[in-house]
Amino acid sequence: MNKRKQFFLSFGKDFLGFVLLLLFLILFFNIESFKNERAGFTVPDSWLNVNTIFLGIVIEAVPFILLGVFVSALIQIYVREEVIHRFLPKNAYAALLPAAVLGAIFPICECAIVPIVRRLVKKGMPLHVGVVFLVAAPILNPVVAASTFFAFRTDLTVLYARMGLAFVLSIIIGGILYLVFKNRDQLKWTKEELVGRQVVLATDTAPRKMNRLKQTFYHAADEFFLMGKYLILGAFIAALFQTFLDRSVLQAIGSNEWSSTAVMMAFAYLLSLCSEADAFVAASFGNTFTTGSLIAFLVYGPMIDLKNTIMLFAFFKARFVLIFIGVVTAIVFISVVLLQILSLI
Amino acid sequence: MEKQSDLGFHAYIRGIILIGFALLMLAFIITGNITYYIAPTMMPFIYFATGVFLLLGVIQIIRSTVKGQEEEQLCDCGTDHNVSGSPITKLLIYSIFVTPIILGFVLPDKLLDSSVAANRGIQYGSGILAEQTRNESTKEEASSRAEAFLNDPDAYYEQLETGSKANDEEHITVDEYYTEEGFNQYYEELAEEILTEDRIVVTEENYLDMMTMLDLQLERFIGKPIEIVGFVYREPEFEDDQLVVARFGMTCCVADASVYGTMVTTDEASQFENDTWVRVTGILDQTEFNDFRIPLIQLREIEIVEQPESPYVFPRFSF
Repeated sequence: MNKRKQFFLSFGKDFLGFVLLLLFLILFFNIESFKNERAGFTVPDSWLNVNTIFLGIVIEAVPFILLGVFVSALIQIYVREEVIHRFLPKNAYAALLPAAVLGAIFPICECAIVPIVRRLVKKGMPLHVGVVFLVAAPILNPVVAASTFFAFRTDLTVLYARMGLAFVLSIIIGGILYLVFKNRDQLKWTKEELVGRQVVLATDTAPRKMNRLKQTFYHAADEFFLMGKYLILGAFIAALFQTFLDRSVLQAIGSNEWSSTAVMMAFAYLLSLCSEADAFVAASFGNTFTTGSLIAFLVYGPMIDLKNTIMLFAFFKARFVLIFIGVVTAIVFISVVLLQILSLI
Repeated sequence: MEKQSDLGFHAYIRGIILIGFALLMLAFIITGNITYYIAPTMMPFIYFATGVFLLLGVIQIIRSTVKGQEEEQLCDCGTDHNVSGSPITKLLIYSIFVTPIILGFVLPDKLLDSSVAANRGIQYGSGILAEQTRNESTKEEASSRAEAFLNDPDAYYEQLETGSKANDEEHITVDEYYTEEGFNQYYEELAEEILTEDRIVVTEENYLDMMTMLDLQLERFIGKPIEIVGFVYREPEFEDDQLVVARFGMTCCVADASVYGTMVTTDEASQFENDTWVRVTGILDQTEFNDFRIPLIQLREIEIVEQPESPYVFPRFSF
C-alpha cells in the first residue's frame, strides 16, 4: 500500500517536471506567435516597461552570477581552509591593505561578489577582510574604470575620485567593521550545514570519492538557485523603481551638496545598476547634480544596493547587514561631503 | 531513502528550470529580440550564460537519476546540497525562477518609449557639454590620480588594448583615443571629415559619436543640412512648435538606457504624436534650453518612418 503511494508520488513528480519542460518547449517554438498576438490579453504599457527592464537586468546579471557561483564552487572544492589562513597577515589591520589590492586585481562585478565573499568567509577568511573585498572589487576593476572614463571623458576628476575613494574607503569600512565585530561569526548557518561541517572537520583527511569536476558543477547549480531567487526579486523591485520613479522629482530635492549627495546615494541604492554601466546613468545627471554627488552615486551603488541587500540578508545575520549598510552609507556620505566642502571635487 | 529521492527530485526540477533559461536566451538570440534587452558588447557573456545553463541543466538531470544520487551520497562536502523549507516555500521559490522564463516567452518585447524618457530625463546632444567648466581642479587630482593608477595599471592598459580591434579603421591609435587629447583629436578629425560632406547624416552606427561631436563643436556646423531618425518626444514646458527626435542609447542593458535627443522646431510639430518614428531633415542651428546651449534643427522635411530594426543606439567603443 505504502509502496504504491510512493510510486504515484514519484510518478507525479516526474510528470510535473515533464510538463514544465514541455511548456518551455512549446513556448520556445511558438515565441513569435505569442509575442505578436499578445496571447489574447493586454498588459498596460507601463507594466510592459517594467517587464522589459526586469528581464534586462536579469539577463544581464545572470552571466555574472554564473561566473560568481563557479568561482565560489571552485573555491569550495579546491581551496583548503589552511591556505587562506596561511596567506593572510596575522594582524587584522595589516590584512586590510592586501585585501583591497586583491579586490582591485579580480575583475568581479557586484552581482558575482556576494557568493564569492560568502564562500571565502565560510572557508575561514576573516569577516572584515571579506567586507573589504565586497566593497572594493566591484569598483576597482578595469572594465568599470574604462566605462567611467568614457562616460566622464571631459571631467576625469570623476574617474580618479571614484577609484581613489573606493580604495581608501574600502579599507576604512573594513577597519570599522573589525572594530565592531572582531572575529565573531556573522554568517547564517543552517543546522544541517553545521552538522555537515563538523563531519567535514572531523574527517578532513577522508579520500574524496566523487569526481571534483562534477562536484564543482553540482555546487555551482545549487548556489545559482540559492542566489538567483534574491537576484530575481531584487531585479523586479529595481525595475519598478526604474519605471515609476520620476527622476525630475529627485532633481527638485537635490539642490545643495548635502541633499544632492544624499539623493544620488538613495538613487544608486534603488536602481541597482551594474557597476559597469552606472557611469553612463550618472553622466546623464551631469547637468543637474554636483560632481560630488555623482561620485557618491558611483562609489555607493556598487558597494551596496537593493538587490545586494536582499542577498546579504539571506546569508548574513540581520544585525551585521544593518550595521554594514549603516557604516558604508555614513562613510561614503561623510567623505564625499567633506571633499566637496574642501572643494577637492 | 526518502530524503535521497527528494534531493533527486530537486535536482531534476532545477535541471529543467536551467534548461528553460537556456531556451529563453536561445530564443532571444535566434529571433534577435535580445537587442531589446542587452547591448551588443555584452553578447559574449550571453552566449556563455546560455551554454552554461544548458550544460548545468543536463548535468542536473543526470544527477537526479538513481545512479547520480547514489554517487552524491559519497560527496564529502557536507554543505549546501540540502533543500530546506515547507513544500509551499519550495513551490514559491521555484515559481520565482519560472516567472521570468514565462514572462520572457509570452509578453511582447517592449521598446522603451517616451513615458520612460519623461521619467529619465532627456539629454540634448551627448550631455557632456555642461561639464566643460569643471576642468580646473587638476592639482587636487594628483593624489587621487596616483591612487587610481596604483590600483591596477596593467589590467587597465590590457583592457584598453582589447578595445583596439574595434577602432582599427580609424586613423587614430587607441592609446590616443583613450586620453583626453586623443579624445578631442578623434572628434576633431571626425568633424573635419563631416565638414567636407554636403550634409550631416546621423545613422544608427554613428549616432552617439555625432551627438558628442555636435556638443563639442556646434558652432562649426551651424547652417549645415542634417538628417536624423528618431522617435518624437516632448517635454511639458515645450512650445507648440517644438519637439525632440530622440533615441535611447544603451551601454549594457535597458536599465541603463538614457535618452539622447535633438530639438526640432516646426509649425507642423503638433501633427506628430509622441513615440512616432520620423526622419527629419533640416538646417542645424543652436538655441538655449534651461540655460544650456543645445543644437536645434530648423525643419525642412519630416516624414513618418517604420521603427528601425535596431531601435536602440550603442556606444561605438567596445570594452
